[in-house]
Amino acid sequence: MMWDGIIIGGGLAGLVAGIRAQERGKQVLLISEGAGSLTFAAGVLDFGRMEELQAQENHPYALLGEQAVRDAFRYLIGLCPVYHGEWGRPQAVLTPLGMLRQADLVPFRLDASPLAGAREIILMAPEGLKDFFPEVVKTNLQKQFPGAAVRLQRLRVEEFTNWHRVGKPVPATVYAKFWCTRQGALTLQNLLQETALEVRSGLNPVMVIPGLSSAFCPGLAQTLDKAPWPVVEVTSFPPSPAGQGLYETLKEEFRALGGELLIGSGVGRVEIESQAVRRVIVKSRGKETAFAARAFVLATGGLFGRGITVSPTEVREAVFGLPLYVPAEWSGSAFLGEQPYARTGIAVDDRLRPRHPISRELLLTNVHVAGRMLAHWDPWLERCGGGVSLASGFLAGELL
Amino acid sequence: MSRYSVQVAIIGGGATGVGILRDLSLRGISALLIEQGDLAHGTSSRFHGLLHSGARYAVKDPVSALECAQENAILKRIAPNCIVSSGGWFVQRPEDDPGYVEAWLQGCRAAHIPVLEVPVSQARRQEPLLAKDILRVFEVPDAAVDGFKLVWDNARSARCHGGRYLTYHRVDEVRRDGNQVVGVRGKNLLTGEDFAVESSLVVNAAGAWADRIAASAGVSLEVVCDKGTLLAFNHRLFQRVINRLRSSGDGDIFVPHETITIFGTTSQRVEDPLDNQPTELEVKQLLSLGSALLPGLTEQRVIRVFAGVRPLHGEDSELNEPSGQAAGREVSRTFALIDHEAVEGIRGFLSVVGGKFTTYRLMAEKASDWAAAKLGSTSPCRTAQEPLLPDVPESLYREAQALLPCAAAEKMLERLGEEALPVLEAVRQDPGKGQLLCECEMVTVAEVEKAVADEDAHHLADVRRKTRLGMGTCQGAFCAYRALPLMWREGNKYDPLGVELIRFLNQRWKGIRPALWGEQLRETEFTRAIYAGLLALKESDGDSGGTA
Ligand SMILES: Cc1cc2nc3c(=O)[nH]c(=O)nc-3n(C[C@H](O)[C@H](O)[C@H](O)COP(=O)(O)OP(=O)(O)OC[C@H]3O[C@@H](n4cnc5c(N)ncnc54)[C@H](O)[C@@H]3O)c2cc1C
Ligand SMILES: Cc1cc2nc3c(=O)[nH]c(=O)nc-3n(C[C@H](O)[C@H](O)[C@H](O)COP(=O)(O)OP(=O)(O)OC[C@H]3O[C@@H](n4cnc5c(N)ncnc54)[C@H](O)[C@@H]3O)c2cc1C
Repeated sequence: MMWDGIIIGGGLAGLVAGIRAQERGKQVLLISEGAGSLTFAAGVLDFGRMEELQAQENHPYALLGEQAVRDAFRYLIGLCPVYHGEWGRPQAVLTPLGMLRQADLVPFRLDASPLAGAREIILMAPEGLKDFFPEVVKTNLQKQFPGAAVRLQRLRVEEFTNWHRVGKPVPATVYAKFWCTRQGALTLQNLLQETALEVRSGLNPVMVIPGLSSAFCPGLAQTLDKAPWPVVEVTSFPPSPAGQGLYETLKEEFRALGGELLIGSGVGRVEIESQAVRRVIVKSRGKETAFAARAFVLATGGLFGRGITVSPTEVREAVFGLPLYVPAEWSGSAFLGEQPYARTGIAVDDRLRPRHPISRELLLTNVHVAGRMLAHWDPWLERCGGGVSLASGFLAGELL
Repeated sequence: MSRYSVQVAIIGGGATGVGILRDLSLRGISALLIEQGDLAHGTSSRFHGLLHSGARYAVKDPVSALECAQENAILKRIAPNCIVSSGGWFVQRPEDDPGYVEAWLQGCRAAHIPVLEVPVSQARRQEPLLAKDILRVFEVPDAAVDGFKLVWDNARSARCHGGRYLTYHRVDEVRRDGNQVVGVRGKNLLTGEDFAVESSLVVNAAGAWADRIAASAGVSLEVVCDKGTLLAFNHRLFQRVINRLRSSGDGDIFVPHETITIFGTTSQRVEDPLDNQPTELEVKQLLSLGSALLPGLTEQRVIRVFAGVRPLHGEDSELNEPSGQAAGREVSRTFALIDHEAVEGIRGFLSVVGGKFTTYRLMAEKASDWAAAKLGSTSPCRTAQEPLLPDVPESLYREAQALLPCAAAEKMLERLGEEALPVLEAVRQDPGKGQLLCECEMVTVAEVEKAVADEDAHHLADVRRKTRLGMGTCQGAFCAYRALPLMWREGNKYDPLGVELIRFLNQRWKGIRPALWGEQLRETEFTRAIYAGLLALKESDGDSGGTA
């Protein structure tokens, strides 16, 4: 069979490319080795400072242009209406330590703005929630909202008694899953009612609950809607319920549109003829299968996704062996400062097709590169991880 | 200003300094040790961790060989919890000079180092990663020693016998009254406050900094700083120490420690003890040299690179040319005791320089003999017989095994000995504290909690040195975060958490940067995603007062 498009890599960029192409009536196969980085990510999406980044020669935003990035921004809200955001007006969300940070697209209830008007903050602390430190979060909230009294309320769930007895911490994703069950929703409802008795509504109370994500769980959202005060969620240390929610939602959407998913084995070899990729070969349980398509998207996630591998002697693009932009200076002395290595990737033209980083000659005519595989950007320093991956994935889906 | 009064002031909290503190304390002589950082802040935590059998020095330096052979046996007896008697092999390759083998065997005989030839076929079976084309293999009693543990155990033992130490106190001057030394003065680096120690004797055990200490007393001392770079791999590549059987050179020793292997080293003269930043070039050269003993070494995962500075005593050297890349290794590694009375007529001032970690006890014994003689004390040295720590009672073992996973229990008891008692008590009361906070090195929440609360811990890095937190493959990405609430509970003892975190990440980064490839690079991407992405920390949060 000849596919219209094959997408290699099923992270944010690859999934969005696949969804967009299916919407456009293309028959798409998505092949992914692993689940990608979304399940580790906060679930909020950052777009960074458009103007500044666009002015950087070679930055993905410079190639994409502001309009394409804005289109992708709006596209995601259409795709997942639980995301809220207004272009150019970042919202505040809570970090796992309870500090405020900004993000551009935020699942409903991760938005921390209700805290600004609160005179009482009720911080729920689910017992044994892994990598959540109630006292630290409480201190940080108190410091940032001096006008509110922060109250810590421990929360104990029957369901996890055995975990607590042996001292095993409960990961946020496990707690989140429980709240999504019928029994979980009931438990939470009771807890809210009990708490309501102690809260005086005149104080504009706001409740902060970590370890769940109501945006991706309608039953839970309904329960929280009924709460007599606003509820604010907290982004999670990995693995994260909201990140996982976005990942599952995108996967389902792709399937629902008729896209074919092959997760668990990666593309090993490829066949290239006169600057065009003909087939990619997947090895699974010792058996090789070849897949042919008219066009391909390479969204294998860069260094973290293993789309780029680095040895002491070589920096390699793993699937096609494409030449990469590799900065002359590899690293910088301040860990969270400029790290040139992070800008390693594939140089592309305005149709996201790979070109030689120096001669700029076009290398493959039917491959589009997206997400972390692109050269000349740093998601952490520039705070644009979601924006670049989303916008380049969206464009790749348009081009397939 | 804080004032102290003791019989002997010791400058430097490396192996040599704490060894002297313990020796004097066991003799009933009052002593105070002053260290500018945490204990083992200097070379004693930036070394290979090889408890020499002496075989490495058998040809070039017979005195060192003999000293090492004797001390090797003594330390295995008095500090078994700090030493893994893995044994060591000397391996000859086809290109290595066969004449050297004969000279080496003779040297080992002379130093009474037991040597056993291992058939090559057996050697290949026992160490599958070892190069196949080797010619001969000899076994010697080399061992792996944990520098942190040994330094801390000396300090603890000294404390039990009345010895005291001040960390984060820098000595700025050795004070004299005419030709008589009367003590030292300096600064408490945590509070900025001045301090002064009154003592009739001062021992300078400041390692690579010893010349500066001497200069502050107005005497001269030549110390050669010789930088050596080491690589830590994430696996136990070999089961025993592997040496190359040839005239000592760069990159010819592998020392397995717990789950990792340390490989090195290099030798390069540097001007300053703080010139200890390894370079990517050194790493690549080492990898290529090491491939002779372990083919495919380049493919192995380097989790960290670090360098230490050997404090070598310049005047002992015959081949003491000041320049030249490899010159450092030719300077004798036997130590020197310099009584400045004999040289410059300054009374009450002794400098101890050179030597090796393996011979720290012997150096301490000699230094303490000097002090005892000056003070008219006749109590003999007991450090060659008296174990560093009392044996861990069987009941404690059983209790630990019942509460914690087997391997975690064992590691904790090795680190803490009897001091594991309160940790176990905490776990019994709250099983959650038995969870592994550091999964790489199997350190429990309760143990980190204890280390964080310890009066000697002032930064997250101090906690790391005691618990090995952040030393494994994740290099702190997870455990640094998990230590935060424990530090938070200590109130103002630590800097704001964001400051502590960024300082810790940058310290770890120093050791990751020179080998930034493979899985460690991927881990780096992840760590930046967590700290700069999820937690939204910026480099500038490291110097502001944010709580993060
Ligand atoms: C800890 C963490 C925190 C984050 N926080 C934020 C945040 O706060 N804000 C924000 O906007 N973004 C955040 N992100 C998200 C991040 O910015 C995006 O996920 C990123 O841009 C990468 O998306 P991607 O689709 O290019 O790659 P990935 O999500 O890494 O996906 C690549 C996929 O390709 C697969 N693959 C690799 N090689 C092959 C092969 N040969 N064959 C088949 N498949 C292959 C991989 O298995 C993987 O599934 C965070 C990410 C992480 C890890
Ligand atoms: C790369 C390398 C590998 C090595 N490998 C081995 C090995 O495998 N086996 C072995 O036996 N030996 C080895 N050695 C040698 C061994 O590490 C050193 O000889 C030994 O650690 C020196 O201990 P020390 O106490 O004399 O010095 P240090 O440990 O350096 O202690 C001196 C202390 O003095 C403190 N200080 C300095 N100035 C002041 C001041 N003004 N005020 C207060 N305090 C001050 C410093 O902070 C420091 O902590 C190696 C050395 C290097 C560099």
